[in-house]
Amino acid sequence: MAHLLQKEGFKAFVIAGGLRAWRKAGNAVEMVPREDLVKLPTFT
Amino acid sequence: MNDLLPLISRHGYTLLAALCLAEACGFPFPAGLAILTAGAVAAYGDLHFHVVFATAFFAILAGDLLLFSLGRVTGWSLLAILCRLSASPESCILRSAEYFYRRGKATLLFAKFIPGINTMSPPLAGSMKMRLEQFLRFDSLGVIFYVGAYGGAGYLFSDFLRAITRGLRSAGFAAEVIVGVALSIYVAYRIWIYHQYRMLDVAPRVPVEELARRLASDEAKSILIADVRSHGYYDEDAERIAGSIRIEPNRLEEEIRSLPKDREIYLYCT
Repeated sequence: MAHLLQKEGFKAFVIAGGLRAWRKAGNAVEMVPREDLVKLPTFT
Repeated sequence: MNDLLPLISRHGYTLLAALCLAEACGFPFPAGLAILTAGAVAAYGDLHFHVVFATAFFAILAGDLLLFSLGRVTGWSLLAILCRLSASPESCILRSAEYFYRRGKATLLFAKFIPGINTMSPPLAGSMKMRLEQFLRFDSLGVIFYVGAYGGAGYLFSDFLRAITRGLRSAGFAAEVIVGVALSIYVAYRIWIYHQYRMLDVAPRVPVEELARRLASDEAKSILIADVRSHGYYDEDAERIAGSIRIEPNRLEEEIRSLPKDREIYLYCT
């Protein structure tokens, strides 16, 4: 993803360790807003 | 195959059950080959075909039930583990899920015959909240078809399989060399795919401490943090880095249009 953005001229970086590392360092997180939640369909 | 025949003749049902259960649980064991071989051995009377069938059926069903239950409980985590060998685990999950949902429960009837889908379908059914009795009904039928097809083929063509085994034995060293070369080519190809994938990993990585420091300073205005997880990771209690936006990786071309070029974009996933 970052590579693709860079090719399009964006200044893109990657957060080392992702969300896990961010949370482990004690930094602020928030609940994902309901409108951003996308789930796969279910059979029920 | 030439080693499997005497092995199955000697250790019979136990080995068959172990191989079938292992494959159903996601391990790369040749259950189909084992069922084929057991069918051939049954043709010669060393095993009973109906016991071979029942053993394979219950072993595979047990493995499928286990993965179904784990899929129900863990959701996407188990699917991510099963897809780990793929060059792109997220695409692997989404592709399998789309395939499964498009074709519905009927997928379970023939999933066992399709590499990749065979292991993914039980946990997918679980994570997509298929009812247990529905899963049992369709999966049982699918297992019956699978075991019946391979076991029946082994039983009916036992003479042919024996001739192949004898041929492989007499080819001896040559056959081993061919198999060894084919395996080496496959491994080299997988390594090449992996390196191609890793070569894209050229974006600079920033430690979280560095980013947190920059966010607490005047530089915060020039920073945008973007969550690039696929929607497979968005359960109701999902969390994200405070203040981050979401970029849907499967709609990147559309999402790019609304991204600012004058700000640094920091991407993260799980």
